[in-house]
Amino acid sequence: MKWSRVRLLVWKELLQLRRDRMLLPLVFIQPVLMLLMFGYVVGSDVSNIPTALVDQDRTSLSREFARAFENTGYFDIKAHPAEETAVRPLMDANSIEMAIMIPPGFQAGMERGEQVPVQIIVDGVDSKTASVASGYASRVIADFTQRRIELTGLMPKTAGIDARVRVLFNPSLRSVNAMIPSLVAYILMLASMALMAQAVVRERERGTLEQMFVTPITRGEYLFGKLTPYVILSVAQIAAVMAVGVLWFRVPFNGSVLVIGAGMALFMFTTLGQGLIISTLARNRHQAQQLAMFLLIPTIVLSGFIFPIESMPRAIVPLTYLIPLRYAVIVLRSNFMKGSDFVALWPEFAAMAAFAIAIFGFAVARFQKRLSD
Amino acid sequence: MRAAFRRIDAIARKEFIHIRRDPRMLIAVLVMPVAQLLLFAYAISFDVSDVPTVLLDADMTAASREYLASYERSDFFDVVGRVDSPAEIDDVFDRSEARIAVWVAPGFARALERGEDGKVSVLIDGSEPNSAQLGQTYALALNQQLDREIAVEWVRAKGQDPEAMGGIGANVRTWYNPERRSADFLVPGLMVVIIMIVTIQQTAVTLVKERDQGTFEQVVVSPIRRSELMVGKVLPWMAIAFVDIIAITLIAITLFGIPLRGDVFTLGVGALFFVLGCLSIGLMISARASSAEVANLTGLMVGFLPGFMLSGFAFPLNSIPRFLQVISYLFPGRYMVTITRSVFLKGASIDVLWPQVAALALYATVGLALATVLYARRAR
Repeated sequence: MKWSRVRLLVWKELLQLRRDRMLLPLVFIQPVLMLLMFGYVVGSDVSNIPTALVDQDRTSLSREFARAFENTGYFDIKAHPAEETAVRPLMDANSIEMAIMIPPGFQAGMERGEQVPVQIIVDGVDSKTASVASGYASRVIADFTQRRIELTGLMPKTAGIDARVRVLFNPSLRSVNAMIPSLVAYILMLASMALMAQAVVRERERGTLEQMFVTPITRGEYLFGKLTPYVILSVAQIAAVMAVGVLWFRVPFNGSVLVIGAGMALFMFTTLGQGLIISTLARNRHQAQQLAMFLLIPTIVLSGFIFPIESMPRAIVPLTYLIPLRYAVIVLRSNFMKGSDFVALWPEFAAMAAFAIAIFGFAVARFQKRLSD
Repeated sequence: MRAAFRRIDAIARKEFIHIRRDPRMLIAVLVMPVAQLLLFAYAISFDVSDVPTVLLDADMTAASREYLASYERSDFFDVVGRVDSPAEIDDVFDRSEARIAVWVAPGFARALERGEDGKVSVLIDGSEPNSAQLGQTYALALNQQLDREIAVEWVRAKGQDPEAMGGIGANVRTWYNPERRSADFLVPGLMVVIIMIVTIQQTAVTLVKERDQGTFEQVVVSPIRRSELMVGKVLPWMAIAFVDIIAITLIAITLFGIPLRGDVFTLGVGALFFVLGCLSIGLMISARASSAEVANLTGLMVGFLPGFMLSGFAFPLNSIPRFLQVISYLFPGRYMVTITRSVFLKGASIDVLWPQVAALALYATVGLALATVLYARRAR
C-alpha cells in the first residue's frame, strides 16, 4: 500500500464532498437537528398533561387537593366543567387527556375518617401518557393522604415500612441523559453507512470506477481511501454531538473517552461494513438509499435506542441481539452514566468485535469480488 | 382543458411505467410499509414489566422474607437473584444484570414488633429512564400498600378499629382503550409515519432523477406546463399511497384487532389531503436539491425526523418546548395522527375533526403551489 496514493484518494473524496454546495452543510445540520429532536422530543418527560377538574365539593379541602395536582407540574388544569357529563366531549375533541373528579362530600367524608372515592379518567389513546399520568396521579393522592393523616393526627403512629426509593446514576430521571449518549452511535451509523454507500455507488453510476482501476491504485488502497474521509467525518460528528450534549443539554459524563473511543471504533467497522455491502448490492444511489432505510428502521426499533428492549414481547427480544447498535447503546449509556469500564462491558465489546470482524470481513470480500467482475 | 388532461395523463403514465419497471422500487413502496408496520407494532411497547430485580436481605427474619416475597409475586419485578452485600449491588448494576435492588436493613423485624417503621431501600438504575420511572412508581405503590397492610394488622392487634383510618380511594378508569394496549395507540399513528416516509422519500428524487438522466430538458421543451407536470408526478404516488393506506387499515383491523369506530369518509378525506401535503414536501425538496445525495438525505431527514418525532405518534407533544411545538404544526403528520387516532379509537367524525382536515387541505394547496413555483424558478 502506497500512502501517497491513498492520500490523493482521500483528498479527491474530500474535494468531491465539498463541491456539492448543499451536501456538507446538510451533513452537519443533520446531527444538530437530530440532537434537538431527540433531546427535546424523545428525551422529554411527560408533563403538562391537559387535565379537566370536576370539583363537585367546592370546599377548601377539595381546592387544596386540586392544587396538589397542579403543584407537581405534571398536570395542566385546562377546564373546570361543573358536571361529569361534560368530560366526554372534551376528551372526544382531544382538548384534555385526563380528568379528576372530586365527589360532593369530599371534605366532610375525609373529616369523618372515611374512604372517599376520587375518580381519575385517563385517555387511553395515548397509552404512554395514560400510564404515566395514572402513575403520577396515584402518587399525588397517596402523598396527599399521608400528609393529611400526619397533619390531623387521625392515625396513631403504627408499625409500617419506611421505604427510601433512590434512583442511582441518573437521579433526576432525565430521559435526555440516556438519549444523547445513544444518539452518538446512531449518528455515526447514519454518516458512515448511508453516506459512504452513496459515494461508492456514485462512482459506479458515473463510470469513474473503471477509470480508477486503470490507474495503478490497488483495491486495498481504493477501499482505504474511500473509507477514510467518512471516518473523519463521523469522528467530527461524534465530537460535535458529545460537545452539544454535555454543554447544552448538560448530560453528565462520568465515563472515559478511551472506553467510548474503543467502543465506537469497533462499532464503526460494523457500520462501514454495512455501507460497503449496500454499495455492492445497489445499482444506483436511490436504491442505495432504499437499502440503507431497510437496515436503519429495524435498527432504530430493535436496538433499545428509543424503545426499551425490556418492554418488547419475549418473542422479539432474541432479534435484538442481531443488531450491532444494541451493544453500542449499552456501552455508551453505561459508560456515560455509570462509568462502567472494559471489565464490566466485556460481553458487549466481545459481541461488537465479533460483528465487526464478520460484517466488515464479508463486506471487503464481497467488495473485492464485485470489483473484479 | 382536454389537452391539459391528456398531458397530465401522459406524465402519470410515464411515472407508472418507471415505477413498474423497477421491481426494487415496487418492493420499497408496497412491501416495506407493511413490513415496517409489523415490525413497529410488534416490537414497540411502553408497557414495562418483568424488570430484573435483585434482593438483599440483611435481616433474615420471617418478616423480611415475607416482605421480599411480595416483590416475587409482582408482575412488574422479576427477581433474578439474591445478593449478600451492598458491593454486589454495584457489580450487578455495572453489568446491567438488574435494574432494581431491594435492600432490607438489619433490625427490620424488631422495628415492626416495637411499632416502628422497618427500614428498606429500593435502589433503581436510572440509566434507562422509562423503566426507572415506572419502577419508582411501582416500588412506592407496593411499599405504600404493604405499609398500610402492616399498619392495619398492627392496629387490629392492639384491639383498635382499622376502619377509622380515613383516606382517598383512587379509582382510575381508562377510556377508549381500557386495556391500554400499545398496538391500539401505535398502529393508527404508524400509518401516518409510514406514509409520510414513503411518499416524501420517493418524490424527493423524481425531479432530480429527471435532471440526472438528462430527460429534464426534454420535458422543458415539451408543451407541458409546470403545474401539469406536478399533477402528473403526484397522481401515481397518490394511488400508491392509497394502496398502502388501505393495506395498513386492513391489517390493523384484522391482525391487530384495532376497532374502526369512526367515520371512514373523514379518514379518507383527511388521508387525501395528507398525502398531497407529503407529496408537495417531496416535490419541494426535489426542486431545490443540488444532487441526488442531497435529495436523498433531505428526504430521509424531513420524512423521518418531523414525521417520526413531531407527529405525536409515539412521543407525547405536550411537554416539548414551544419552538418545537410551532415546528410540529408546520408538518402534516401531527394533524393526521389526531385524525387517524380519533377516527379509529374515539369514533370521531368530521364535526369534531374539521379543524385538522381544514389544516391539511390548506397545507396541500399551499404546498403544491409552492412546489410548482420553486420548480419553475429552478427550470429557468
